Amino acid sequence: MENVLSILFCLSLFYVAVTSRVKEYVTILRFQGIILTISSIIPIFYHFSFLGLILPTTLLLVKVYLIPRYINKVILDLDIKRYIETTIQQMVFMPIVILSMIIIFLVSSILAHNTELNVIPFASGFSAILVGIYIIMFRKKLIVHVCGFLILENGIFLFGTAVASELPMMIEIGILLDVFVVVFLMGIALNRIRSTFEGFEVSHLGRLKD
Amino acid sequence: MGLEILQGITSIILILGVSPLFAGLVNKQKALLTGRIGAPVLQPYYDLQKLIKKETINSQSSSFISRISPVVNFVSLIITAAILPVGFWKPLISFNGDIILFAYILGLARFFQILAAMDIGSSFEGMGAAREATFALFAEPIFFFTIGSISFISGYTSLFEIYHSIQLDNIYYLVFILICSISMFVLAVTECSRMPIDDPNTHLELTMIHEVMILDNSGVDLFLYQYSSYLKLFIYTILEIAFFYPFSKESYLFGIIIFFVGIIVLSFILGIVETITSRYRMKNIPQYLLFATAIGILNLLIFTFSK
Repeated sequence: MENVLSILFCLSLFYVAVTSRVKEYVTILRFQGIILTISSIIPIFYHFSFLGLILPTTLLLVKVYLIPRYINKVILDLDIKRYIETTIQQMVFMPIVILSMIIIFLVSSILAHNTELNVIPFASGFSAILVGIYIIMFRKKLIVHVCGFLILENGIFLFGTAVASELPMMIEIGILLDVFVVVFLMGIALNRIRSTFEGFEVSHLGRLKD
Repeated sequence: MGLEILQGITSIILILGVSPLFAGLVNKQKALLTGRIGAPVLQPYYDLQKLIKKETINSQSSSFISRISPVVNFVSLIITAAILPVGFWKPLISFNGDIILFAYILGLARFFQILAAMDIGSSFEGMGAAREATFALFAEPIFFFTIGSISFISGYTSLFEIYHSIQLDNIYYLVFILICSISMFVLAVTECSRMPIDDPNTHLELTMIHEVMILDNSGVDLFLYQYSSYLKLFIYTILEIAFFYPFSKESYLFGIIIFFVGIIVLSFILGIVETITSRYRMKNIPQYLLFATAIGILNLLIFTFSK
């Protein structure tokens, strides 16, 4: 089951790599949130506890509902254009993602020889981290950077479940809170930037002086 | 032995006979979804009947290539139809490595069509040929990654053997169906020039791919081209249905039921997809195809490293 979810997660990464609309990024974030929620519900079937229910509920609330809704609100409020703007050609992005994914799968299968780890969730989490970094590197819009950061965060979450079957719950909830605060701050920052510059591209920030 | 040959011949006749019906079903579905009554389901048959009665006129500047190309096209598609299993009937042509033959016979058909389009000497058709060649370049890896990974799971290289030998208790096979049907669908849409890639209904030269290549053909030539395009769509449909064949391991009858149910369901899906999507811009199509290739590669990676 975990493998199936990770494969779906990989598919969502591919979709992120080809799409050129800001709205689709938010949809994918929601989709990934659902996948992570399901993957965190699975352990409950083996040994049920009310404490274990807290994490899925928080995930559902934060990753599926609050963050996408907030990003959508920011997009609407600030009237951001629908298309992402890239620093490299959109065509090139996909081959880069495919290549890195192949390397990651190779590396993680080598790692799996010596350590006890689940190859597919590990590799897909790892690839999500890289895809997130690529998005931050190769896209111009700030709101897309936020989405890239969130994809990276989702990757770390999946990565965590692959390495250790259960992280202490307080840590996971702490991470979630962290992410939410970061997104919130980003929204406020975007609002501030708008009052100073026209548009929301990183290239404007390059001209800032002390 | 005799029974097997009979089954092979029956399945070819079935494919040849049903393929225009499938196109008709898709068109009817599209019409109903957009609120029109639409042409009757048997319309493709009427069209073919009309075309075969007409006179064939060839351009003066064309050579023998444009005369043999429709026939080559049609015959190659019949050969590919002979490789495909219908249900669990053994196909007429089946040997180790026939998946490669399958891909390259289709490649031959495409090659002759492109040559014929350039042979006529119209600039529009040259443009269509260039586009067809470009998109075929991106579509080829999809086929090889998808079919390659399934032959990897089963350990066989013949289409019939592959579907005959897959063990269903492998949970990965279900995931495989899920993933591969997406990439196969993209491949079918590309090769048959259906909606997100190319709009079969428009006759605007700037946007056409497949239709523009047969713009100057008429009569029997056009009949052969049209029939081959129906056949091609149907062949890719069967290739997609074939993923579900292993569920019918026990009996021939169940395989045939899966075949027909699959056809109807796929015509519905194709109709819905063609209704809700619009044609992509030309420069975005390679990305769409790369997405399907990436899915194929993911498949291969998963099966290599999850043992």
